Order: sequence, then structure tokens, then C-alpha cells
Amino acid sequence: MPSLTIDGREVSVPKGTTVIQAAEKMGVFIPRYCYHPGLSVAGNCRICLVEVENLPKLQVACNLPVTEGMVVHTGSEQAEDGRRAVLEFLLANHPLDCPVCDQSGECDLQNFYMNFGLYDPRFREQKVKKQKAVQLGPHVMLDQERCILCSRCVRFTDEITKTGEIGIFQRGDRAKIGVYPGTELENPYSANVVDICPVGALTERAFRFKARVWYLSSAQTVCNGCSQGCNMDMHYVLDRPHLNEGARVVRVKPRYNPDVNQWWLCDEGRYGLEWIDKARLQEVRGPGDTANADTNSGKATWEQALGAISKSLAEWKAEDVGARIGVIASAKLTNEELFLIREIFRDALGAQVSAWVPEDPGTCDEFLVKADKNPNTRGATLLNLTSPDAPEAERIVDEALAGNIDLLWVFGYDLVEGFGEQKVRELGEKLKLFVYSGTNENPTQALAHWGLPSAAYVEKDGTFVNHHGRVQRIGRVFSPLGDSREDWRILLELGGLLGLQLDWRDPQEIFLGLADAETAFAGMSYGTIGDQGVEVACTKPTEGVTAPW
Amino acid sequence: MKLTDLEDRAEVILRRYEEPKAAMLPLLWLVQENQGHVSPEAEAWVGRLLGVSITHVREVVSFYNMYHTEPVGRRELRVCTSLPCRLRGADGLLERIRSSLKISPGETTPGKEVTLTEVECLCACEMAPMAQLDERFVGPFPPQEKEAIETLIQDALSEPGGPEATPEPEPYICSDGPVLSTRFKDPTGTWLEAYTADGGYSAARKVLTSMTPAQVIEEVMGANLRGLGGAGFPAGKKWSFIPTDSARSKYLVVNADEGEPGTFKDRYILERDPHALLEGMLIAAYAIGSHKAYVYIRGEYFRPAQRLQRAIDEAYGRGWLGKNIQGSGFDLEVVIHPGAGAYICGEETALLTSLEGGKGFPRLKPPFPAISGLFGCPTIVNNVETIACVPFILRHGAARFSEIGTATQGGTRLFCVSGHVVRPGVYEAPVSVTLRELVEVAGGVRDGKKLKAVIPGGISAKILTADEIDVAMDFDSLRGAGSMAGSGGVIVMDESTCMIEALESAARFFADESCGQCSPCREGTGWVHRIVHRITEGRGTFQDLDDLLAIAGDMEGKTICVFADAAAWPVQSYITKFRDEFEEYIRNGRSGRTRRSEEDEACPV
Repeated sequence: MPSLTIDGREVSVPKGTTVIQAAEKMGVFIPRYCYHPGLSVAGNCRICLVEVENLPKLQVACNLPVTEGMVVHTGSEQAEDGRRAVLEFLLANHPLDCPVCDQSGECDLQNFYMNFGLYDPRFREQKVKKQKAVQLGPHVMLDQERCILCSRCVRFTDEITKTGEIGIFQRGDRAKIGVYPGTELENPYSANVVDICPVGALTERAFRFKARVWYLSSAQTVCNGCSQGCNMDMHYVLDRPHLNEGARVVRVKPRYNPDVNQWWLCDEGRYGLEWIDKARLQEVRGPGDTANADTNSGKATWEQALGAISKSLAEWKAEDVGARIGVIASAKLTNEELFLIREIFRDALGAQVSAWVPEDPGTCDEFLVKADKNPNTRGATLLNLTSPDAPEAERIVDEALAGNIDLLWVFGYDLVEGFGEQKVRELGEKLKLFVYSGTNENPTQALAHWGLPSAAYVEKDGTFVNHHGRVQRIGRVFSPLGDSREDWRILLELGGLLGLQLDWRDPQEIFLGLADAETAFAGMSYGTIGDQGVEVACTKPTEGVTAPW
Repeated sequence: MKLTDLEDRAEVILRRYEEPKAAMLPLLWLVQENQGHVSPEAEAWVGRLLGVSITHVREVVSFYNMYHTEPVGRRELRVCTSLPCRLRGADGLLERIRSSLKISPGETTPGKEVTLTEVECLCACEMAPMAQLDERFVGPFPPQEKEAIETLIQDALSEPGGPEATPEPEPYICSDGPVLSTRFKDPTGTWLEAYTADGGYSAARKVLTSMTPAQVIEEVMGANLRGLGGAGFPAGKKWSFIPTDSARSKYLVVNADEGEPGTFKDRYILERDPHALLEGMLIAAYAIGSHKAYVYIRGEYFRPAQRLQRAIDEAYGRGWLGKNIQGSGFDLEVVIHPGAGAYICGEETALLTSLEGGKGFPRLKPPFPAISGLFGCPTIVNNVETIACVPFILRHGAARFSEIGTATQGGTRLFCVSGHVVRPGVYEAPVSVTLRELVEVAGGVRDGKKLKAVIPGGISAKILTADEIDVAMDFDSLRGAGSMAGSGGVIVMDESTCMIEALESAARFFADESCGQCSPCREGTGWVHRIVHRITEGRGTFQDLDDLLAIAGDMEGKTICVFADAAAWPVQSYITKFRDEFEEYIRNGRSGRTRRSEEDEACPV
């Protein structure tokens, strides 16, 4: 463990650590454009120049391994002058079109100019002209003039996706990034190049001219698009609905988690979030006062719905025919909600409960994208709500069609997609009570007696367990839309109406109850899970997929 | 010829390299030689053969000057307008060719006979102003020699393969010994028979049969042999950095990517004494434990590469290369690797990146090539001239070599004298020779004019004024004089030289040739050139001079390689030493000078 001194403070770091990493460890930020911890070192931008005693020239901190006794100055006059010089070169041919640039406000050219530059510009020549507004692929726009040729995007497509679409053509100040003429940047991770672009050269097509970034709020969450559970920050607007056609979610950015997704997100996850703001189920639908009891054609209140449903459930419980109640839960629900379903339906009412629904495997790769598109299959399994501990959903449907089940509650899952419209229509006719709760409009909810609007996952607190056994908090981003309610809240209220002794008031407390009940979660709390998650006691991936790192 | 018909030849090329991607440049050459240009289909074909994405093939094609992505004329006429040629009338030559062919550089005649290209230094400054017609160097063509230029144009318009009136010139203007140039003057003395008759390969035989690698390295260290590519690093010391306990392959790479404007010595060795290079390589490879050597020759050097290849074939035929050399049990394979038009590939790590099939991007150090070089293996890169000194050292002993030079640099150098001298050429002299003596050896300043300035070590070196030339030409003396010995390219300027236009030429060179990797160099070289060019257009300000000095200062010492520093030095030295002239030019433009007459055209700079 060599020791070195950075800006007068001594630090010991493992052999092989570079100065930029050592400085970061002690909270000293050295500016960088080309350096990215997830990519190989290129050393071309030269902004991370530092002064090292007994070395004749300034050194790039990104490629300088620490040595015993090294003395580094990041803020000396020589180092600052070096950075100032590099910035002036980088900005010489830059178009300075910040007023029309989507990156403005989160641009490292702007940031570092304010922090390390602040010189009087001397460049008075004609700038080099390159191509602007080039559509690189389905998600990414390129402005060659804004590019500082740091090569992060090139290294990303070479080293992470190994697709090699992006290159730097020509040389000198004519050098420009791009894809081969006639080809597109369309690998499943393409939008990551936008995240790692330190300037406004690569921008998102979906975010183009939509909002200034300083109008965006941000909250931590995880992706629910598959069982990988990639960590991300959700950027949203609530107070300026005109920016995003009324939708709250504007974009998401990957959030670093070394054990899950490192710095990356797949495009499928990144662009699979429209449902949070579109075609949402926003009101309680029920049979109404006079209308046909078999359809939910009428608008209702939560009190009416939960009152009616709990009344039916209580009747069956009293008659000790709980087995005639069926629940098809979902691996899209949180652990807390699945735990409540288990407590209420399986344990208190004796119902048949399953979170094991038929689904075709989706696309997958050996990196982040998993074939299981549910974020919490592992959690449902740990709670014994999947096969073989629980019946498959298909059996519950069959039992209902055979007349062995009178009450059915479906959480989120679209039965029509799984079993066909005919069977679901039949269910609606046969069942005494058919409840659907979910986030969005779908054919199943239209055929159920009651349609209950559920909050989207980013509208509630809770945890998922990813395929690798990592328990991660969702983190509530904003409030439920319209009349929708979090499933955990619906379940707690229902439990209350059924007279069950459920002493929890919120997901955090439910989770503590869950941790008490299930050894896999023993000793965990939201505090210990933190923002990076923790592994459950036994970690066996649900899919035999290993990440390349 | 169709791509499928080239597959057998591609296979042969691929077998020369340890990694497929390294065959990139030769495969692109194969395509271009057979199809005239590198089409998208060819890029895809090359990418498939090498396992490289088509984007990366295009990166390479677009980086090097010599590859064409569009169909061009049946012939190509490359006119050098780098500083040494401009001093002798390149602008006038280009103008005559333009007006005669009625096309501008970058264009092709309507009948597709010829494509005209303006290029940076072809390293044949002894025949300045010169050009390259397809593969052969032709010159000199002073602009006033209209008939000679017309002959060249007729050749350029003729069908390839027919009889032509402008052969590549021989013999050379050069010295005769004592170390490196002993064989240059004799066109019959080039090949193996004559070389061995003169005692050639006796040093290699001695080394292989009676010396250990460590003894060889010690001998070279004792000789004070310095790296003659430009950096002057002690060669023996460099060799000693190769780890001896590593089981990995080791490589010897010879840098024949001669490109520094004003330098043309390696071409003489390649063409006139290739076996001295091969014998030196054999000894060097033995010293560092390498069994595979590459010679990276700049793409424009067609005849030098052909002659070296002939010598290599001879050496294989007579057991001086290949397996079990002369029964010693030592093996050495030698492969020529062609460049494709990029000055930066003369930088040793850029050369390795290029040899591996990439763009010529210099690499971050550490690691140094001796630890991790070609294909990640320990590698020594030495200049042609450096290696060519080695047989002499092993044959005559370190003492004999070292006593020719100074206390810190042994031996002689091939000094390339160009510009306004009577006899531009390659002159070998002990490294202690003074710059003034060299100018005199080349016949002094031509036309009885007064000397104004000399660049002592290639265009990168800081310029010396007429009263600064009593300096010895070894690395340390020139460093002491505030310049550098560099590549040994001595560019002489007489009193008629306009320093602003000379700087414009140098600045254009660096802007053209920057690889574009590091921001200070990529942006700085272009910025400097635009300012200097603006001054030559009569739109300069006094502030520009201070800005140029500040920008040059900002470029220094901040990049992966020293190219940016090299680009800064001419700016600093020209402006500092000729500030009055720069200010006068800004004040009065060229108006103070006579209009271009026919005579001026011969020497417009």
C-alpha cells in the first residue's frame, strides 16, 4: 500500500491505483473528460493535469500510478495553468451554442470552465465546420462540432457492447466521431453513450429540445423492466407539465451500482417507462348502483370498493371456505405487498395464492438484459409464492372455470394475454367476485367486476429482489396518479376491514415484519439496504446469467 | 481484380503477423493497388478478414493520406510543398502543374488520366522541388525549367506502364564514409555479394558465434551510440531495458518511417546499403533476444522498400535470415510493414499502434515499449540509421566508434542538407562537426546570397540565426544552443527567405500531421496555422504575435507525445528571433517586397 501526498494530505492506496482514483478517494475531484472509471484509460483530453514533485512536466492523473512518497499538487499555479490551457484548446473550436444545447446545465465544459477556466478567450479565427444534428441511431443524436473527441463513446462500443459502431475519422482538427456511412448506432445499450458524453455532442433523441435540465427533479429508483434491477435516477417534472406533454417522467439516467449495472442501462429499460404516465387506470371502477353486476361500468369510490370486497371475503372466511378464494399476484409487486398478500389471503383467509404467471421469456443477453421481465420473481420465490411452493396461476384459473373458486383477485397480470379473452369473459360470468387491481388499462380490468387503480412502482416505496438475490429499494419518486393507490395501502386497508391484526403503517414497517418472518431477509431494514442494496442470505440466480465483469 | 481473387494474397499477408489486425495497412494497400481505391465493399472485406468492425477500417482509411475512398485517376502526381521544397520553388512548380493540367490539388483530370495531390515532405529534399509520380520520386523541377516540367506532365498524362522520360534520379549527392555512407556512391556495391566481399556480415558472425547478448549490449553502450531518429536516447541503454527473464516474445522494430521535413538519410541506407541495416538488425535482435523483426517503411518509399525486400530475400537465400542463421541456432524473421502517409507514425509508439493495424496514435507511457510494446510484448524500436551503425561498432570495436564523436555521443551522422545550398545532399560527418562546416560542405549558400538562418535538426528544431551556427551537431551541443539535433535535417535559408511564410509552411505541416488525439495538439496546431496564415494574407495584428507565443507555450509539455512541443518550437523560435520581420510584415504586408518575378518564383519563400 504505497502512501502519497495529495494537496498536503497523506493517503495510502492499493498498488496500481492511479492518482485520479487516489484523489477521488480522499474527496479531491480532479476534472476529467476522457477518463471514465468503466472504460480503458485514453489519456487524450489532458484536463486532469497535475503537478508532481520531482517530475519535469505536468502529468495526467488518469494514467499516473501512485508511487511511495509521491507528492501531488492538484491546485498549484502550474497545474491550474495547465488546465486553463487545455480548456482553452477544447473550447477553441467548440461552437458555444449552449443556449440551444440540451446538455446545457449538465455540461462539463460549462462546469469546468466555471471551476477551472475563467480565462479571457483569445480564439478569433474561423472555427472548424463539421456536421450538426446527425441522427446516429434510434436514440442518439450527434453534433460533431460540440464533440471534444474524448473517445468515451468509441471505447464504450468497443469495450462494453463490443459492437464497434463508433469511430473517430480523419485526423488533426478535422477529426470527427461518427458511425460508418449508412450504418446506425443501434445496439441494445446505445443510449449509454449519451450519459457518458461529457459535452453536448451526443444527446438523446427522446429528450431533444424537451426541457432545460435545471427544470428537472431527480429521484433514485431501480428499473422494473426485468429481473436485473438496474439502478437509476428518474428525472421528472411536476410543475411544468407543458415541457413534456403532461407526462411526469422525462428521462432516466443509470445510477452507479458496482454489483448490478455499474454505470449502464439498456435501451429497453430506459425507454420502457411510458406506461407510468400513459393509459393509466386512474379511477375505481365497480358495478355501480344499478348496472350489470358482472362489469365494472360504473365509477366508484375506494370506500365502496373495499367495503364490498371485504364484505364478500369476510363471508367466505366465516363459512370457512377460504380455499374458494383465489389470488393471482405478480412478480411486479414489491416484497412488502407480496408479504401482505400472503399474510392476508393465504394465511388468514386460507386462499389459493400464486405469483407464478405464464409468460414467454423476453429478449436477453449476457450483460444486463434478462429474459424474465419481472423485477421481483426472486422475491416472490423467497416468499414461497411461486412454484413449487404455490400453485401456478393457470391452476387457479382452471379451478375457477371448474367452479371451485368463487372469488378471484388478480394483481396487475393481464389474464387475457395469458389465457385468452374467452376464458376471462367466462370467469367474469362464473365468479361471484372478480377483482382486478393494476396500474394501466387492459382487457382483464375491463372484464373484472372491480377495477382498482394501483400506483406505479415509482409512486410507492418498497423493495424488489433481483435475479441475483440483491434486495433493492425502489424509492418513491412522486405521488400516485389520480385516484390510484399503492397496493400495500390497499392491502393494509383491506386487512383492517377484515379485522386482521396488521400492525404496520407503511412499507418500511411491513418490511421489518417480513424480515422477522423470512430468514432470507433476516436482520435487514431499509437502513441496511441503503441505496445500493444488499444480498439475501442465499444467493442463487434465477437465471444462469453472468455479467461480464 | 475482384476481392475474391485477392484472397490468396491476403492469406499470405495475414501469415506475416502475430495478430490479424496488424495486416490492416498491407491489406488496404493490396486492395488499392488492385482496385485503384478502397471501396466500401473492400472495407467490409478487410474488416471481415481481420475481425474488425467496418467503422474501424474506415477510421484507418481516413487517417492515412495515401488511401483513396473514391475512384481517382489512373496515375497520381504528388507534389511536395513542404518547407525544403518551397525554399527551392515548390509553389511555382505546383502552379505550373495546376495551370497545365487545369486542375487543383485533390482533383482528377476529366479524362481520369491523373489525380493531383499536394503533399507534405516526401523526404527527398536533395531533389527539391520534387514530386512523386505514382511510385517514383522525380525532381528537381525548378519552376523556371518549363520544359522539364512539361515532360513530367506528359508522363503524368500517359498510360501507366509505357516508356517515360522522368526516371527516379540516381546517383545521389552524398559523402563517402567513414561509417554509414561508404557504400552509397557505388551502385554495384549494394547487394549481398559485394557487401560480404567488403567484410559485411563478419560482425554478425562474430556476435552469433562468440558473444553473449549482454556483451553485445555492453559494446553498444560503450560506443555511445545515440538514437538517431531524433530523440538521441542511448541505444545500448534502451536495449538493456528488455526484460531478460520474460518468456514472452520480443520484437525488434526498425523505424523507417522517415518523415521529418528536411530529412532523407534513411532512404539512402535502405536503397544503397540495405545489408548494413539487416546485419545491424541481426545483431540487435540477438542482443535483445528477438526472433521477429519488422521494418516500418513510410508508404511513399516504394523503391526503398523494394530494394530492402530484395536484400531480405538475398539474406534468406544465403542463410543470414530465417531459421538457424549460419548454423548458430539463432532464428530471425524480418517483415517489411508499409505505412500509408502519416508523419506521426515516426513516433515510436504511434508506429507500434499503426503496425498493429490502428490509426497512428501515440500511446500513453508508462508502459514503455521495452516492457509492453508490439502486441503487448517487450519491443525495441530503433531508427534505420541507428541500427546501421551497429555492424561498424561490433566489427571495429566500441572505442573506434566512440572516439569519432564527442564524449557523450559516438560516431558520425548522416546530415541531410537542404534548402538554399549549392549541393543539397546527405553528408556524413563526425557528430562534432559544426553547422557552419556542414553548410560549407554542401557548397555554401547558393547564388552568392547571404545566410539568414538554419534549422539544424528537421523542421521541428528551433531555428538558428546566421551567427548561431558555430555549434557542434551532436545532441548535447545543440541542446545547449537552445535547439536540437533531431533527425539531422539541416534546412538552410538565405537572405531572401520570408520567415513568416517559412513559419506558415511549418505550421501547416503540423496542423496537417497532428494525429488529433490530445486536445492541446489537435486544437493548437490548427489554431496556430490559422493565425499565421491570416498574417500571410495581410490580416495580422501585433497581438497575434503575443498570442502565438502564448498558444505555443500552452501546447508544450501537455500531450502524450512530443509532437505538440515540436509544433510549438518553430513558432517560438521564429517569432522570438525574427520579431522585427514579423512586425514589419504585419505593418506593410508583402508590399515592401518586390512583386514576384520569374526569378522570385524560383524562390518564393
